[in-house]
Amino acid sequence: MANIQFKTAWDHIRRAPFQALAALFVLGTTFFVISILSILTYSSGKIIKYFETRPQIIAFLKDEVTESQVSELRQGIENDSRVKEVKYISKEEALEIYKKATASNPVLSELVSPSIFPASLELSVTDLSYAQVVIDEIKGSQYVDQVGFTASLGSEDNLGEVISRLRNITWYLRIGGGAFAILLTSTSFLVLIIIIGMRLTTRRGEIEILSLIGATPGFIRNPIILEALIYVFAGVFAGWFLALILVLYSTPSLINYFGEIPILPKNTMELISIFALIFCIEALIGVFLAFTGSILAVSRVKKKK
Amino acid sequence: MLVFKNVTKKFGSIAALEDISFEVDKGDFVFITGPSGAGKTTLLKLILREISPDSGEIFLDDEDIGKLPLKKIPKLRQNMGVIFQDFKIIPEKTVAENVEVALAVIGLTNKEWKARVEHVLKLVGLSERSNLFPVQLSGGEIQRVSLARALVVNPKIILADEPTGNLDWSTADKIMDLLEKINEEGKTIIMATHHKLIIEKMKKRVIELEDGRIVNENSGNKSKSKKKESEE
Repeated sequence: MANIQFKTAWDHIRRAPFQALAALFVLGTTFFVISILSILTYSSGKIIKYFETRPQIIAFLKDEVTESQVSELRQGIENDSRVKEVKYISKEEALEIYKKATASNPVLSELVSPSIFPASLELSVTDLSYAQVVIDEIKGSQYVDQVGFTASLGSEDNLGEVISRLRNITWYLRIGGGAFAILLTSTSFLVLIIIIGMRLTTRRGEIEILSLIGATPGFIRNPIILEALIYVFAGVFAGWFLALILVLYSTPSLINYFGEIPILPKNTMELISIFALIFCIEALIGVFLAFTGSILAVSRVKKKK
Repeated sequence: MLVFKNVTKKFGSIAALEDISFEVDKGDFVFITGPSGAGKTTLLKLILREISPDSGEIFLDDEDIGKLPLKKIPKLRQNMGVIFQDFKIIPEKTVAENVEVALAVIGLTNKEWKARVEHVLKLVGLSERSNLFPVQLSGGEIQRVSLARALVVNPKIILADEPTGNLDWSTADKIMDLLEKINEEGKTIIMATHHKLIIEKMKKRVIELEDGRIVNENSGNKSKSKKKESEE
């Protein structure tokens, strides 16, 4: 029985290829945009996370602090759930960093010795909003000389500003993109309803015959739902596949451009698994659209009777 | 098998059927006749539960089909074979597919279709045309497709609403021969027609309607006039 219903649905698609193409284009575009927006959301989240979790606080240690005292302080900081990562930088390592930073001017590095650089603990917080409290707490330690808010981005204000800007961009991207995706999804939904409605109108005679020979409402409705599901799955797959190809193609260039910022996973399998998750979510959205669209169209046609 | 008890059906102020009572036994062949607007189609629609009676009862195998809940109507119709004047064949499906649809509706699996479809198409003489579309068939052939679709589900009762209305005499005669053959195999047939020649030729039971009332009833050769008092 399912076979004849699938055949009926497929025959309807075959006999109205332009309607089918219209549905495919609209649904394909919608799910392409949704796929790309999902990836952009993922990448922007990764960028924010990257900046938020970079070593942001440097606790410069007093010269007289012993190794055991450093380790005691480090242990204390590491146990703080607000702190993500703690790294000890010795005087020698600090000199190396200085030398690297002044490589273009060797005279500057020749004038310094490790003794002038204090050892330090570099740490990052899980959320930037904890930074000030953590800094204040560390300042209270007897082993700490000074606390700096880093790093390559400059001052505390500077880093906060950068992250705030990134957050704003991400927020606009999510809201703007989300609104655009909702607009496209609504258009797809309407197109689906219109196509199913047209199909029901052209099938009115057949529906009447089926009803007279004892077909149940489910028997009559199923090919219509199946047809909507075929459109939706074709649209989801087309849009998703196009987005996957585009992202796979541009990933090497993007990774090169953004350097150490993990905008996209470097491991292809990881990227594909993200896309698999996107496909599953889109398929669920598609099934929802197909069911509600076809049931709404059927009920509208029934009301018109 | 089928019992009408004081059935009345009105459309607004117009009484399509009024106080109709009759019985049909298993294996009967009954003609419902009368002029246009007499109530023939309304009577068949009541049996098919396209409409419900305003009063009275209609029993099919002791079940009051007039009070049947909506969800049970498909099951009722699956036990009936229906033939219409305008054929009601799906134009996008082939002859065989039109017959298969009826089997799919009653929930038979694809494996069981082939033998049954072949059997009924042979019975109605359309074996050679099973892959043709309705547009490629004559009126008589299309009506035979309709008959095959009605028969394939092995119905308890066959309802035919003017099945020869759109056919010439020779084709109509062939259809009637088929219906008689099916009736001889034990199927109950109720046929609405105003084709006097067919009624005379078949010599079956006739219920004559006029303005929604039974004005005459005879059983085949033995006429047992039951004209209403008002008519007398």
